[in-house]
Amino acid sequence: MSAYIASLVSVIGINMILALGLNIISGFCGQVSLGHAAFYGIGAYTAAYLCKLGVPLPLTLLAGTIMAGAIGIVVGLTSLRVRDDFLAVTTMGIGFVFLGFVRKQKWLGGELGISGIPGSGLDPVVYAGLILLFAAAVIVFSLWLKRSWMGFTFDAVADDEDAARTVGVNVSTYKLTAFGIGTALAGLAGGLYIYFARIILPDTFDFVQSIAILTMVVIGGTGSVWGVVAATIGLTLLPEVSRAAADYRLLIFGAMLMLVMRFSPGGLAGLATMLKRRKAAPKEVP
Amino acid sequence: MLFVELIVKGLVYGCMYAMMAVGLTLVYGLLRILHIAHAGVFALGAYMVVTVANATGSLAAGFLVALVVSALAGMAIYRLAYQPILGHPPFVPMVVSIGLFIVMQEAFRMIFGAYGIAFDTNPWYVATISPGGITFNYVEIAMVIASVVLLLGFGLFAGLTRAGIAWRATVTDPQMATSFGVDPVRVRYLNFMFGSALAGIAGGLVGLLNNYVEPTMGGLVSYKALAIIVLGGLGSVRGTLIASLILGVVESFGTIYLADVFDRDAIGFLFLIVVLMVRPQGLLGRK
Amino acid sequence: MTVLARIDDLHISFGGVAAANGVSFTVNQGEFLAVIGPNGAGKTTALRMVAGLLKPDSGRIFLGDRDVTGLPAYARVRLGLGFTHQIVRPFYSFTTIENVMLAAGHYQTGSPWRALTSRSRDAARKRAHAILERIGLAGQAEKSPRALPLGQRKRLEVARAIALDPKLLLLDEPLAGLSSAEATTMADLIRTLPGEGITVVLVEHNLGEVLRVADRLVVLDAGKVLAEGVPAEVMKRADVRQAYTGVV
Repeated sequence: MSAYIASLVSVIGINMILALGLNIISGFCGQVSLGHAAFYGIGAYTAAYLCKLGVPLPLTLLAGTIMAGAIGIVVGLTSLRVRDDFLAVTTMGIGFVFLGFVRKQKWLGGELGISGIPGSGLDPVVYAGLILLFAAAVIVFSLWLKRSWMGFTFDAVADDEDAARTVGVNVSTYKLTAFGIGTALAGLAGGLYIYFARIILPDTFDFVQSIAILTMVVIGGTGSVWGVVAATIGLTLLPEVSRAAADYRLLIFGAMLMLVMRFSPGGLAGLATMLKRRKAAPKEVP
Repeated sequence: MLFVELIVKGLVYGCMYAMMAVGLTLVYGLLRILHIAHAGVFALGAYMVVTVANATGSLAAGFLVALVVSALAGMAIYRLAYQPILGHPPFVPMVVSIGLFIVMQEAFRMIFGAYGIAFDTNPWYVATISPGGITFNYVEIAMVIASVVLLLGFGLFAGLTRAGIAWRATVTDPQMATSFGVDPVRVRYLNFMFGSALAGIAGGLVGLLNNYVEPTMGGLVSYKALAIIVLGGLGSVRGTLIASLILGVVESFGTIYLADVFDRDAIGFLFLIVVLMVRPQGLLGRK
Repeated sequence: MTVLARIDDLHISFGGVAAANGVSFTVNQGEFLAVIGPNGAGKTTALRMVAGLLKPDSGRIFLGDRDVTGLPAYARVRLGLGFTHQIVRPFYSFTTIENVMLAAGHYQTGSPWRALTSRSRDAARKRAHAILERIGLAGQAEKSPRALPLGQRKRLEVARAIALDPKLLLLDEPLAGLSSAEATTMADLIRTLPGEGITVVLVEHNLGEVLRVADRLVVLDAGKVLAEGVPAEVMKRADVRQAYTGVV
């Protein structure tokens, strides 16, 4: 495996953890979040700061994960208090507050971010393998969650909160759980990112990044684990495939968001089930 | 003195936010869509003003073109992007809106270049007056006048004319209005036309104020406008206007007193989050 | 007779209009109590306050000895309260049986950790199936609630509430919108519940069915309890008849 492939694999793995985390919040539990990159950033900054103090890798990852998850739960608390449409704007706001904060903190490097982060001590290929291992674990966890009673309860919360309360679901607890898990995963991705990139800049965690993660989830099919995995691989490789795709990456993302919502709101996964159904029962009228 | 100056300057910015936010509120009130692509219309207006003004030497021509093009763009956005997906849950139009915004931003980058355009001559930018010891340039004055005239005009239109009353009825109760013979589709076009024209003009003015027009200029203003309509209680024009002014002032103070902790763009959202923690229905929203 | 629930002096007003103006009554263990009254008497409002869907301006609600006035609806459900909505609220993205399953497995819902570690839905499915069979919806188990006619959706709503094993079941107009044959079937079904340890409080407009199945009546009028007692006696009272003028 060349260094180029290793870095590509690392990026795919990190994006996968990010997208699957958001998928738990938005896809499983039905809560909109337009600020996922902020938690990625919280994980990265926490890990980078500790790493520069000499804290070893497992602990920095753990700290980044916990920090992001804890702040995620606090943000989740607002989700309990506000209407759906408010939540989109609030989570978007969290992203800006995070950026606005780190940019002004000298001890976090301000606009210049944190550079000179020591490496993981592992060969880049081995480290890519480690990232992939984490990504695989997150896939397994997502599949488990989806089929567990918690996944069933999340479905109910996403469908109709009032009805869920009628059957004794503590909607608040479940929403906070979704926020906690999803944002903790973003923090993990942030921790993994720093040993790969060795430098972090505030702008890596901006609104565009949040939208890029959202794009992976929406194109894959909100709620579908394999759909999101496929979309993450496809969208991450896209700019590598051709120079044109790299130049117009954002344009392509935007156009895809519009087209997918227009013609297949279920994303790739929705498209797949639609085709399967059509094959199985060609005459069925939906 | 600083205190008064901060308030006044904040109110000037508040006027600009109001022009942006009213369009968003109108769309939200009517269709329950968080119209993020409004940012694209804002930048479009700015580009129209700068290119036409640079080509003809006339700012008035620039603003006229911006007004017409933004209004048409707004109507086209409704027809092409939103109308086909109106029945879907709110998540769908929101994602479409984000996609559209990104597409518009990238289109500006391709057409007008990534580095932005400056005005060849910007007389309003250099001319200043200092009533009561506070200095304003003419763009700031124009911003206040434009927003007051346009919003007042809109208020009169909504309150006094037939079309305005039909529009208000549709926002309050679409079904009832339809049964009284109001065509809801025409009201929606009107809505996008007016809101987008306002955004286009605001964009042109902000272009003048920065003496610079760039592809991403719409982003922050419209995100803040989203925060404003939430503060105003979503869907209430009056609440939006008040919240715009409040945000302008809060930002103006925050820029001075929170400068070491947060940058300017974060202050509005920080304020929003704090307010929502205390009043989940927004600053002026009813329960 | 054990008192299962005590409703004490509930007040609530909407925009200055009092919908409950001192409502008090008790529910006895194992009985079938019907709350009736003319339109606008505050029946549904009272029921929704007991369920925890509305917060009373003042007054207390006790479940057994426990003051549940401050508890949210889901917490009352976990204490053994079930309720159905006047306008049915199934999960439309679930099948019929999944709707009942979520309620039937409610013991796994209490702690997120338990929910995350419970993978099998078989036990819940089995119970849900038994309940659907009993309520006559077994044939509809795999259909979407959207595909069910109103009568069956109403039964689904009741099935979901029963699946929670409630001690006290609050039913808000389960017969509304049903044909008279359907209403009779539904009333007969509800009547069997107290025999299984489920105490029933029914709010209903269909007086014919109410008088046929209820053990005891509470009559509300203008946000107050007007009369309380055995159906035959209550309905003889002049004030009750007057409140109902034009209805009976």
